[in-house]
Amino acid sequence: MIDEAAARLVAERFGLDVGVHGPTVPPGRLLELARMLKDELGCGYLCYVTAAHFSEEKRGEETLPARFVVVYRVRNLDRNTEFPFRCEVPVEVGVPSLAHVWAGADWQEREAYDLVGPRFEGHPDLRRIMLPEDWVGHPLQRQYAIDTPHAPWR
Amino acid sequence: MEMTAPRSASATRALPRANPYLDIESYEAEGDLMVLNMGPQHPSTHGVLRLKLWLDGEQVVKAVPYLGYLHRGVEKLLEKLTYVMSTPIVDKNDYVSSMTNEIALCMAFEKLEGCEVPRRARYMRTIVAELQRVASHLLWLGTFALDMGGALGGGTSVFMYCFRERELILDLFEELTGARFHYHYHQVGGVRHDVPAGWDARVHEVAARIRERIPEYEQMLADNPIFLKRTRGIGRIDAGLAQELGLSGPNLRACGIPFDLRVLQPYAAYDEIDVRSVTAEGGDVLARYRVRVQEMEESLRIATTLIDGLPAGPIMGRKPIETPNAVRPPAGEAYVAIESPRGELGTWVVSDGSPKPYRCKIRPPSYHALSALPWLLPGTTIPDVVVILGSLDPIMGEADR
Repeated sequence: MIDEAAARLVAERFGLDVGVHGPTVPPGRLLELARMLKDELGCGYLCYVTAAHFSEEKRGEETLPARFVVVYRVRNLDRNTEFPFRCEVPVEVGVPSLAHVWAGADWQEREAYDLVGPRFEGHPDLRRIMLPEDWVGHPLQRQYAIDTPHAPWR
Repeated sequence: MEMTAPRSASATRALPRANPYLDIESYEAEGDLMVLNMGPQHPSTHGVLRLKLWLDGEQVVKAVPYLGYLHRGVEKLLEKLTYVMSTPIVDKNDYVSSMTNEIALCMAFEKLEGCEVPRRARYMRTIVAELQRVASHLLWLGTFALDMGGALGGGTSVFMYCFRERELILDLFEELTGARFHYHYHQVGGVRHDVPAGWDARVHEVAARIRERIPEYEQMLADNPIFLKRTRGIGRIDAGLAQELGLSGPNLRACGIPFDLRVLQPYAAYDEIDVRSVTAEGGDVLARYRVRVQEMEESLRIATTLIDGLPAGPIMGRKPIETPNAVRPPAGEAYVAIESPRGELGTWVVSDGSPKPYRCKIRPPSYHALSALPWLLPGTTIPDVVVILGSLDPIMGEADR
């Protein structure tokens, strides 16, 4: 169930539509939103951070660049409500890290970076977590082939 | 649905936080500074987890877990397989609790597709999920006693007893599905097999047997002063940090927070039965032990109550799935979370209208539990490291995926 108070405040301060899957926040205001959710609205529970990769696509006239959608979900356990939100960036642009807001974002962002690829700026320790340190590429990107071997072979 | 709000999300008092980002170069050791590698083949790392520990004398000052030894690229695989083909893959994620993996995945696909699950199938899902919870907690209890090792005279007796009882549940599942570990029992829209004749009576028998044994385990463990000494006040985590780290299930309920998705967001048949979610105070190893042991009795009660009231009707809510492309949800996305034995097991799935998911993320409770280690371990000693790690009940197959 989406947190009503958070939805109201987001619409008021950020002018964003919450909808079913949460608002899409510009990367510049992500930290502000995170702090508001945690400090003012008591959303202390970080459920997950994950990302999806979308390759370049034509939508009608315009061409959308290849992009990452970073998805967050936080909860307020006192009220039994949750609040999802997301951030959409072109692949070459970083996303601000929320590891200093929720401690758990550290590992969550490391996993998203390792497998999908968005760079989290200001992250205290952005290393790969699933794959070896010298791995090349991010397997959950669309162009990453599953059936051909990737160097280094092991 | 409006549910009663949890008492308070700040039940345990905030503890001073360790610094997991300690700069070891500039750290001034009192004794000898030593690096110790624990794992990935260490028997008490519960699978293949490597912990790099910096010790100052006997005390851990910094702990860095290394994961990924069991990384199989499950999320990438799910993108390449059709919806129908993916249930057997997730079976292997949390390999001691396959039933709940399948439920979490199938429910997400059903939500995307807008598919109704018949009441009998929802009952069956709940029954097998609860039996699986008992089997999983029994395995945890056995290996946890083994972790305690010498304190319990070897610890192997509790281990063997727990495996003996777990075997009974595996036999029940074998009769129901034909498999002992990786069941492939659930499908989008329902379950694959109906109850065999006489199965309900055997569920009652098994439940009675296990109910009898639980007090015996308690006698062997919780009445043992050495066990209490090694668990009370060890590995304490406060409610605030536990929430930030996304801990769930027994690990979070041991901090006094009644966060249980079976109660707060009832799915399957949990809305038709009263679930008493077990909490404990303290947030230490002993509290986590207490929650799991009491949960077993509650799970047995739910399973036996539901099997008595099993409604008649179909077990599949759609026409039988015969081709791999049969499930083709419309474009959209869904997040569904269930209460697995280890906590909140979620699936976030994005569909583009094709027979394969565009992106499928699994939110494993074990990964979140492991992320607490760098916060919990500094200040403890090596024997405590083993106990704390065991008490979090991580399954590496699920954490690494």
